Amino acid sequence: MQNIFKWNLPQIYTAGSLIHQQTDIISTVEFNHTGELLATGDKGGRVVIFQQEPESKNQPQCRGEYNVYSTFQSHEPEFDYLKSLEIEEKINKIRWLPQKNAAQFLLSTNDKTIKLWKISERDKRPEGYNLKEEDGRYRDPNTVTTLRVPIFRPMDLMVEASPRRVFANAHTYHINSIAVNSDYETYLSADDLRINLWHLEITDRSFNIVDIKPANMEELTEVITAAEFHPNQCNTFVYSSSKGTIRMCDMRASALCDKHAKMFEEPEDPNNRSFFSEIISSISDVKFSHSGRYMMTRDYLSVKIWDLNMETRPVETYQVHEYLRSKLCSLYENDCIFDKFECCWNGNDSVVMTGSYNNFFRMFDRGYRQDVTLEASRENSKPRSVLKPRKVSTGGKRKKDEISVDSLDFNKKILHTAWHPLDNIIAVATTNNLYIFQEKLN
Amino acid sequence: MLGRGVKRKWSCLEEAEVVSEAAEDKQQHEDEDGQDGLLDPSRSDMSRLQQRQLVLGLCLEKLQRYQAGVELSLRRSVLLINTLRQIQEEMRSDGVGSCDVHPDSCLLRDDFREDVTVTCPGCSEGESPPELPSQEANGSDQQKPPAAVSDAVNAMGYLGDLALDDIFEDIDTSMYETSDLPSAWASGSLWPLSVSLWPDEDVKLRPQSHSTAGSLQSCLMDLNELDHIMEILVKS
Repeated sequence: MQNIFKWNLPQIYTAGSLIHQQTDIISTVEFNHTGELLATGDKGGRVVIFQQEPESKNQPQCRGEYNVYSTFQSHEPEFDYLKSLEIEEKINKIRWLPQKNAAQFLLSTNDKTIKLWKISERDKRPEGYNLKEEDGRYRDPNTVTTLRVPIFRPMDLMVEASPRRVFANAHTYHINSIAVNSDYETYLSADDLRINLWHLEITDRSFNIVDIKPANMEELTEVITAAEFHPNQCNTFVYSSSKGTIRMCDMRASALCDKHAKMFEEPEDPNNRSFFSEIISSISDVKFSHSGRYMMTRDYLSVKIWDLNMETRPVETYQVHEYLRSKLCSLYENDCIFDKFECCWNGNDSVVMTGSYNNFFRMFDRGYRQDVTLEASRENSKPRSVLKPRKVSTGGKRKKDEISVDSLDFNKKILHTAWHPLDNIIAVATTNNLYIFQEKLN
Repeated sequence: MLGRGVKRKWSCLEEAEVVSEAAEDKQQHEDEDGQDGLLDPSRSDMSRLQQRQLVLGLCLEKLQRYQAGVELSLRRSVLLINTLRQIQEEMRSDGVGSCDVHPDSCLLRDDFREDVTVTCPGCSEGESPPELPSQEANGSDQQKPPAAVSDAVNAMGYLGDLALDDIFEDIDTSMYETSDLPSAWASGSLWPLSVSLWPDEDVKLRPQSHSTAGSLQSCLMDLNELDHIMEILVKS
């Protein structure tokens, strides 16, 4: 039985540069396909990869901890001289490629450029060169009297990250999504108005597969907010919009997929109509279920599960923080209404998770119709305890341990969350801290 | 957009008497950081009309942030403009005949014109977001455009849709003596220049051949209101 209520106290990592002693804002979190590696990207253009320690034989009940495995600078700030604009180095998305050999590969992107990084381990080094000393200096050839074959000797593990491909200059607008195709040869990148299809080996060319830019920019009323490939149909992808629609496209139909094969949109509830209706309907994330039968979308107040065979309305809707509906005006004023929350599925698609404010995050168990609110905070009580569920009081009477809506801290937002593909391990990013929770096993 | 600490202009809110109380509450928050962690309780108690006025003012203020050099994302500006349009529609359909409605609608609905005719919502065709003089001329300019609004437009990310070829397209830049524009705007003689927030790289200035002189007479605007709105936009 899925138990979404028992989580251990977390490991907590602070993003930033130890050299410069600065903290940074985490901008993306992603597990690899086995869950052994967890990558984070931050506003400073850095990628930090954590690796799970193998389970210890002494404590078979505890899954391994995650420790820092590699850190590298993926993107640097750039300046576009033509437009006099700075291009932020902030990492918008990281996507892992499935592992094919000893090395690991991931794609990381900022607003304009996608890079393919190879992360490889080195635990041996050659020794015994004929012409070089051990420190690299060249030997005087006259001193070489014998010939020997260099051999490999073990060394301390070194993890190296090297950029293998740079996919640049294909996006006029800001990239919001990248998604690897199930063919493991191609991937898509989406900006506000266009989606491009790339081959992983080819950097000087990409195919434009969606273009919603109007001939007259004055007619622009809708932008692309997220895009994803179907997990096992390599011809199918979806993209979401700022108007709350999701379009599914089939790349076999035509080269340019401007005509959607399906469009998913829920009619608006006339009772809830307000000046903010469109803004809160804007979809901030779309994720296919692992099975490929469903997809999940996140808008400002809710998470919706769609059956890919039904376009007219979602099959399930979960309210993340409905108590904010009466506060939309204030949230509009302080710009929080534009926050983009992500969402994720657990490994068997039975639970979905998303973030909220006050460092709260929410889990919804689809099968058992349960939900829980948890908090990512350093102030947790005794060790060995479980995370305590939190509750926001909406009515007049506030019970003990509840927090009132007006006391929520809207500066503490959890936008990025990830769930291990196979286990109940979750990674939750607050502004500049990464929390890794593991399920409490008895 | 968080924590910029940009002081909000009161002028856009003071005009609306109905929100004067709300404005007093806001005064307390004005010196604080741009983004408060807590919600302003006065916001929940407003009537729809009050809220509409407030949201209208906030829309304009947020769009005005371009001028401060803060780059608004395309998504955010599209959402803001759509909200603005919705409010305009509602104000119009409510039959709000007062003058403070028309300038706003004119802002949204006027097609960009090289000449300086005054039009009103009923007169212009279609709905187009207001336009600023586009920045394609940058390709030929050597220095940064000095005008505040041009700077703001410059700062917009999606403005950079320039393909290399477009720089060398023959564009009539006679309208773009930007040093003249601010003073012209201040004097109100170029009103109503509509304000486009995402001019296309392909946008050329098309002289608008049609005119709506006949309906001009029926849609005279209160110049005070215009100046006021202009002031918000140009931040003069």
